[in-house]
Amino acid sequence: MPLFGLKKDPVPAAPAFPEPPTGTSVSPFGNPQVRQVSTDGSEIIRIEHLSKVFKSKIKTVIAVNDVSFEVKRGEIFGLLGSNGAGKSTLIRILTTLLAPTSGQAFVNNYDITRDPESIRAIIGVCPQNYTSDLELTAYDNLEFYGKLQNVPDSTLPARIMELLTMAGLADRAYMPVATFSGGMKRKLEIVRAFIHRPLILFLDEPTIGLDPEARREVWQQIMMLNRENTTIILTTHYMDEAEKLCGRIAFVERGKLIALDTMENLRKLIPAGDLIEISIDHMDPLAEEEIRTLDLVNAVTVVEHNVTISATNGSQAILSILGVFDKYRIPVISISIRSPSLEDIFIYLTGKGLDNGSGEENDAAGPGGRRRGP
Amino acid sequence: MMPGILKSAIAIFRRDIKKFLSNPFIIMMTLLMPIMYLVVFGNAMGGTLTHIPVGVVQEVPPYNDTPLFTSAAYQLNHISQGSNNDAEKLLDVTVYTDEVQAKQDLANGKISAVVVFPASVSNDNAVRLYVDSSDSVTPSLVEEAVTSVLQGLGANNPITVDKIYGDIKYIQFFGVGVIMMAIFSATSFGGGLALIRDRENGIHEGYLVTPIKRSSIVVGIIASGTVRAFVAGFTIFWIDLLITGIILQSFQDFLLVLLVIFIACVGVTSLVVSFASRFSAQQEYQSVIVFLNLILFMTSGAFYPVTGMPGWLRWITTINPEYYGVNALRSIILRNQGLNVIGIDLIALLIFSTAMIILGVVTYRRTLE
Repeated sequence: MPLFGLKKDPVPAAPAFPEPPTGTSVSPFGNPQVRQVSTDGSEIIRIEHLSKVFKSKIKTVIAVNDVSFEVKRGEIFGLLGSNGAGKSTLIRILTTLLAPTSGQAFVNNYDITRDPESIRAIIGVCPQNYTSDLELTAYDNLEFYGKLQNVPDSTLPARIMELLTMAGLADRAYMPVATFSGGMKRKLEIVRAFIHRPLILFLDEPTIGLDPEARREVWQQIMMLNRENTTIILTTHYMDEAEKLCGRIAFVERGKLIALDTMENLRKLIPAGDLIEISIDHMDPLAEEEIRTLDLVNAVTVVEHNVTISATNGSQAILSILGVFDKYRIPVISISIRSPSLEDIFIYLTGKGLDNGSGEENDAAGPGGRRRGP
Repeated sequence: MMPGILKSAIAIFRRDIKKFLSNPFIIMMTLLMPIMYLVVFGNAMGGTLTHIPVGVVQEVPPYNDTPLFTSAAYQLNHISQGSNNDAEKLLDVTVYTDEVQAKQDLANGKISAVVVFPASVSNDNAVRLYVDSSDSVTPSLVEEAVTSVLQGLGANNPITVDKIYGDIKYIQFFGVGVIMMAIFSATSFGGGLALIRDRENGIHEGYLVTPIKRSSIVVGIIASGTVRAFVAGFTIFWIDLLITGIILQSFQDFLLVLLVIFIACVGVTSLVVSFASRFSAQQEYQSVIVFLNLILFMTSGAFYPVTGMPGWLRWITTINPEYYGVNALRSIILRNQGLNVIGIDLIALLIFSTAMIILGVVTYRRTLE
């Protein structure tokens, strides 16, 4: 039985977790939500078996590995994964900057390899790196992109001021972007991507490197743009960001899509209950075995001096758990009980935390992680 | 104290060596540079001038060739500078029957000198030599050749030399070439580098996702590079006039100079930008540009007449926009020649520019790979 095993797993032949994802399956759980195929035309992006392989003399990297999913019109769609998981590569393929090695993708029914020109006209992209011309003013930067996007000259000045006001930068319109803070630059680039009112807005790590206040402002801006009926696709490795903004979330790990659903449904992937985190002095394998056999306990993870226990009813289970530690004379340093977060779901699905390095370097257990099946 | 200093010094040393070795391209270019200086500079500068086109004509009357004229023309045409008589002969002699026609060809740059022989051998009848004095080297060579041929024939006629463009100093000859150099520098640091800096800093990722076409990117960058190059070329033109003391003959010459500088800017900028459209790192681009600058400037004829260069270098001159630029500017500034003479240079520059713009557009990478 897999760790955190689903008691009512809809697919009977689910491979045991935490095996690394195998070559063909989209999700180790065979979650039917992952490959939604809708035919009602509500999707604006359709990706079918998309792969991207980078080859160099030293090594071959599969950045995107047989990914299929759809994005619905008007939603905020989150691509979540650790650094190097393949999120940016996926965005670059969808924004016509990279050609896929195999597979197909359609943006508003345009084929990305056959009709990139049509796609470029309907998308707005805010790349991960700052791409504004620092020597030019905020106004000049927006004007440049407005002209590239064929915004009519008659409406462009008003549109620029509207966007600058939206970004809270109207008073800095004529200052060089080099004088802006990171948050101001980011907000400028987000509205810049929006200058031609695109159908789809791609935001690659929009809040990376920003302080908490700047992040909140960027979030507000994103939600405001979504209200104009724009589909927004954002990549992030921040859980709170995805949780706050995204209607549906796709987990990407090592180039593969491992889960895709609404936050609410993703939560259901983890068995109902609480997470109990206990810091201890040392761990005794016998004690661990005994805790596993307790009635309310679903799963146990030990990482160095921290024990994470998934239990159906945390506050009841804690008493018997502490009894076990007492029996084996293991001193307990701290205890906390909480409901699972998106990060827990991610760890549950991938076997590692989001901030733990790149997908290609670590094994499925993550650095320092130690997982034990019952 | 000392071991600490040493340790960090060694760390710096190791880091620099590792970085140096990590880029074989730069290593290759640093080695290639002095070799190219040797080969290109050595051959372009001190080369033996051969095949200088010279016209000979006899004064009339008499209307049939005198023995002096026949022998002198023959001997001038067979002055050899080495063992291989035909390949290394100094002058290519064309016999004219009409002095006016010969002088016109000289004025249009078709030949470098005209030798007018008198009817007879005597002290009173001078051999008149007209030379293209805008060229710094050939007049003295032609004069020497004529003197030695006359001596060999025992003719004691004096020689009068007419420098048709007056006394032109070497700095005036060379100064024109510097205008082209200014254009190249401005454009390699302007147009080409702008493109690579956008790519290196990832700024192009922002505009490649817009509907912009690669032809717009390349043409736009060539246009801005051309303007920068024109400003540089025009400024250096004025400074050149001030320093070398050249005076333009007419306002029409001035307009022609502007036209030539402008077209040369388009040619050089489109060459540099089409080059740059394949590079993604400033360091590599710069090492190639220094190299390109050397080859183009050396073979442009700015230093030394291209007629002195070996065949393979002269082949480079035919595809070198700077050669046509230098040639056209010299024609206007030093020789007061007009469109009829520089037209061919302008056409060559325009053909070259068009080819380079097409090459730049075709080779420009629209994607990130």
